[in-house]
This record gives sequence, structure tokens and C-alpha cells, in this order.
Amino acid sequence: MKRGDILLIGLVVVIALAFIIPRWFDRDSSEKNHNELRTAKITVDGKLFKEVELTQEEQTVEVENEHGLNILKIHDYGIEMIDADCPDKVCLSFGFVDRTGGTIICLPHKLMVEIQGPAEEDGIDATVK
Amino acid sequence: MQQLNEQANIALKRTVIVAIFAAVAVVLSLVESLIPLNMGVPGAKLGLANIMVLTCLYFLRARDALMMVLLKTLLTAFIFGTFSSFLFSIMGALFSFVAMWFLLWVGRDKLSFIGISIVGGIAHNIGQLTAACIYFNTSKIFYYLPMLLIMGVLTGIAVGIAVRYLVPSLSKLSLFENFLG
Repeated sequence: MKRGDILLIGLVVVIALAFIIPRWFDRDSSEKNHNELRTAKITVDGKLFKEVELTQEEQTVEVENEHGLNILKIHDYGIEMIDADCPDKVCLSFGFVDRTGGTIICLPHKLMVEIQGPAEEDGIDATVK
Repeated sequence: MQQLNEQANIALKRTVIVAIFAAVAVVLSLVESLIPLNMGVPGAKLGLANIMVLTCLYFLRARDALMMVLLKTLLTAFIFGTFSSFLFSIMGALFSFVAMWFLLWVGRDKLSFIGISIVGGIAHNIGQLTAACIYFNTSKIFYYLPMLLIMGVLTGIAVGIAVRYLVPSLSKLSLFENFLG
């Protein structure tokens, strides 16, 4: 290993940590405001499939279409992909997602789940395509 | 005449090496998909096929290595992919190829195989995330990039060590004697 390698590894790790560490602090503060429910936006092929509230009670959402089947489970203010019949199963490895901005993606089925904050915080009321 | 023969011989050897490397890379991807390794980061993988890409870049010209990368991506897509996953892997593969080629070209004496394979792995991740970003029309996917960077460093070190053992062993074979740089 040369000196350049060590410099490079150090640089990459520092950049990655600079993004990861602030998230840990963020998590603590977001734990407190569970009184406002967040929603999960489920899109298939770029089109909105369903928007569900992330409740503490369990509920399952099945997404079935010509691409295949995905089963999502909502519990404890978060969402998780529990089953899918896609070839690579990468979507199952996303695990339990419960933070605003978190996403679950199933590439072969063109499915995306995105967690949105309680209110529209970004100041955009609507977008025109 | 003698010289012409020699040239044809080298061209033939190049083709053979590209074909063998592409085949080995496909097998490595298959083996990798059989390892149930959940590293806690979605989309992270070992990137064993990168061993062959980097070795190919070391021995052959950039265009031969590019050929190898395209062949490998096409073959893997045929074996277990769909058209959309092919688009993602080709984006990743091309990003990674360009990054590694550039580094081998400018930084051969500053970086070892380990550094180059780390950059290759990270470029692969960035390429795929960019493709996903365009495809899903959202930049939120880059949320996972920091975790992928850390994994990229770890897998890059592993791949780099493998290349460091592979290159000297291959150099002893007569097939590679014309390509020692």
C-alpha cells in the first residue's frame, strides 16, 4: 500500500462520516415529534400508487402489478418491505425505514417508497410536469 | 512477413485474454450473488468482477478493457437481469471503468491497486445511483451514498489485495509475456 492509498482512504472515510454523524443527532430530535404522522409515498413507474400514513399500528400494503408483487408492512411509525418476488431482493435489504427522506427502492419492479414529513416543509405547493 | 505474423499473434492473444477475463468476471458475479451477504447497506456488494476489470486494464489497452467490461455486463444481464437492471449495471460499469482507467493513467506511481479499486468501486456506486436518480426522478437516493462509500473502501481493499496477487501470477504465464508493461 502506498501513501496515496492511505490518503485516499482517509479522505473517503472523512467525507462519509461527515454525512453520517449529523444524522445520528438528527434521529434523536425526530424521535420526539411522533404526534404528527408522516406519510409514505409509494410510486410505481414514476406514477403515484398510494400514499399511506405511517401509524404505530401494523398495516400491510400489497403492491401488485405487471412487474410483480411487493408487500410492505407499516408499524411503529415506519415502513418496511417484507416480501417481494423480484430477482435481486435488494429492496428487502433496505430494512425498516422510519425517517423523513428515507427511501426503499425495488429496481426491477420500478417501485419507490419515499417517506415525507408531516407537512409540506419544502415550501413547494405543487409541481407542474 | 515475420513481423506481420507477430502482430496477428498479439492481436489474437488480446482477444483470447479479453474473452477469458470476461468469462471469469461473469462467473465471479454469479458466485457473488450466491453468497448471502447482507451488509446492512442496500445495493452494496463485494464487486469481485472488478478484480478482472482492473487486471485487464493493467495488462491490455484501454479499449480492450472497455470491450471486456461491455461483454461482462451484457453477459451478466442475459444471465440474471432484466432490461432495466442492465441499464443500471452498464452505468455503474462505465463510470467505474473510466475512473480506474484515468487513475492508472495519471496516478500509477502514487496509488497502488488498492487505491484504484476503491475509486473504481465508489465510481460504480455513484454511476448506479445517478442512473437511479434519473430513472426515478429523485435525488433522495443519494441518501445511501455515505454508507456505500464506507463499504466501497472495505470491498475496494479486498479487491485490490486480490489483484496484487493475481497480476504477478498471471505474469508468469506465456500468454501474458507480450503484455508486461
